[in-house]
Amino acid sequence: MLKNDAIRLKSGRKWSVHSGGSGPDLLWLHGLRGVDAADPLLLTLAAGHRVIAPVAPGFNDLDELAEIDDIHELALDYDDLLDGLGLHGVPIVGHSFGAMMAAEIAAHFPQRATRLVLLSPVGLWNDADPVADLFGLPVAEMDRMLWHDAAACEAHAARLAAASSDQGQVEAMIAATRSIAAVTKFVWPIPDKGLRRRLRRITAPTLVVFGAADEFVPARYAADFAAGIAHCETAILEGAGHMVPYEKTETVTALIERFLKTA
Amino acid sequence: MKFHFFHLMPYPDLPSDFRETHRSVWVDVPSSLFDPAVGHRAYGDYLDELEHADAVGFDGICVNEHHQNAYGMMPSPNLMAAALARRTERAKLVLMGNSVALYNPPTRVAEEMAMLDVISGGRLVAGFPVGTPQDTIYAYGQSPVTLREKYREGVGLILRAWREPDVFSFNGKYTQLRYVNVWPRPIQKPHPPVWVPGGASVETWDWCVENDFLYANLSYFGYKEAQKVLDGFWKTVERHKVEPNPYRAGFLQFVAIADSDAEAERLYAEHARYFYRNCLHVYGGYVNPPGYTSIATIRAGIESQVARIVSRAGARAELGNLTWKDFIERGYIVAGSPDTVVDRLNEMADRLRVGHLMVLLHFGNMPKETTLYNTTRFATEIIPRLRHRYSEWEDRWWPREPVAARPEPAPVPSLA
Repeated sequence: MLKNDAIRLKSGRKWSVHSGGSGPDLLWLHGLRGVDAADPLLLTLAAGHRVIAPVAPGFNDLDELAEIDDIHELALDYDDLLDGLGLHGVPIVGHSFGAMMAAEIAAHFPQRATRLVLLSPVGLWNDADPVADLFGLPVAEMDRMLWHDAAACEAHAARLAAASSDQGQVEAMIAATRSIAAVTKFVWPIPDKGLRRRLRRITAPTLVVFGAADEFVPARYAADFAAGIAHCETAILEGAGHMVPYEKTETVTALIERFLKTA
Repeated sequence: MKFHFFHLMPYPDLPSDFRETHRSVWVDVPSSLFDPAVGHRAYGDYLDELEHADAVGFDGICVNEHHQNAYGMMPSPNLMAAALARRTERAKLVLMGNSVALYNPPTRVAEEMAMLDVISGGRLVAGFPVGTPQDTIYAYGQSPVTLREKYREGVGLILRAWREPDVFSFNGKYTQLRYVNVWPRPIQKPHPPVWVPGGASVETWDWCVENDFLYANLSYFGYKEAQKVLDGFWKTVERHKVEPNPYRAGFLQFVAIADSDAEAERLYAEHARYFYRNCLHVYGGYVNPPGYTSIATIRAGIESQVARIVSRAGARAELGNLTWKDFIERGYIVAGSPDTVVDRLNEMADRLRVGHLMVLLHFGNMPKETTLYNTTRFATEIIPRLRHRYSEWEDRWWPREPVAARPEPAPVPSLA
């Protein structure tokens, strides 16, 4: 299990940060469903890294977003956080919305990221193959778009339900609603807030991974990211959707480990 | 009590298998279903019906704003109000209203409403809805987590633009303006009465009471379903220790009048089914985006009427199969002989305590003759029997006497 700390920055902002493991630092930026102390991908990565996983603003409390007007202010907030954590140059691995933030941090502050791994990243828009409207689905139907492997989806839900047995069903629903709401502030109605123009600023070697069956952000966006980032590799994994880190955890972990080692 | 004729302006010619062949009446309803010739006739009929309501003595005539919606052909209610301002004399123009967050800058709303107030001789009621998710989030691309804050900032700017005599600068989070100087200015001072049409969010109740705005619950599911909502509003009024004046509240109700209860079914049932079957056929993904409803409101267990119906698969399928008997028993529609209707509306007033009753007398695809018939009977046989209610209270949410009519022009001098 990872431990959780409440960190208060000089700016006054409070962050909830999970961390654990030993080895070189690795910053994990979670996706649409947040992060918890028993995240299976992080536990695997923690075998060889000190994993640091902040909870994105808004995911615990929507009021945290009141002072964060746009993606640039959010990037500044992460910059403050990394100062607070003493992470001046660190490999950043992100999933979905977290991968978009990883790319934004690396584009705004290129020196922050030594390596970048973007797992099913949101953040670009291609008229020829639009990102699907996840936010135009009833919340109860979102999982069907996000997961390709129904069994993995069920196992994930069962793990979360077991972990949050002290919460009522209403609270769990509120948490899921709040997470998606927080994300919409930065990706609605079109997720590209200028990232395509900023990708050129990313200097970190980058690995982009998509599930071939991603119904939310089509895997072809791997090529769009690669076209904008100077040093970029891509990997498309068959038999996985948007939740590829949790559908192909071993493969994804191996890809991350190998990529971070090839310095 | 005051009585207002409310028109939704539905597209009246959706195919009979619309529910089965399309996923939503709103947001992504195919444009191929819109025949401009049908639209032309419908606008003409609907404006005639609103003008008729003025002629037979309704206190107000109401128009509202929806986007990409086949049951509400009024993306701009201001255009309809402008047409009505020139063709009516007496009824107040209840503009229900402009979704303020959608206008950039919001001073556009202050300008257009001021124009309407001046053109109509001071007959405007200024409605400021947050707007439904379908309109604001999906059709107009607003962010659900900033919508309400942007809306409130905009309403504040509009009221200030009407109140302040001098040019001012506005440094808002969502709008920044160097020179705010609305021209023309409303006739009504300091500004037209403000009504806030809303579903049921706990913050809206507090905000209405704190600012002395009228709260109007616009429901398609009748007075029985609205009990919890109006109870919540009146509890808020009590908590703020302000007078429980019934004119603080408005409510919308379908009403159908005939000689007998059986005759009402014959005249109106088909059109009611058109409305509930087709016009409320909204895709579930568009009714309750995360962030639109505050966490406080979710905890309070109050959902918007459309969200509640649409998000429950059973209830949603049911909309297609409701019978006239269901509409009546559930109170979705108040229908029958004048005696029946007066009884039900008295019951509604007893339960909900609303000084402003807005009635929907046109249903879905109702033809003009039937609408005029229903409207005339409501004005002549219902209003006089309910008018006395709440007469002990002062209605501070209503335009004062309008300015005098313009003088007739002097004869044109002869050219000879």
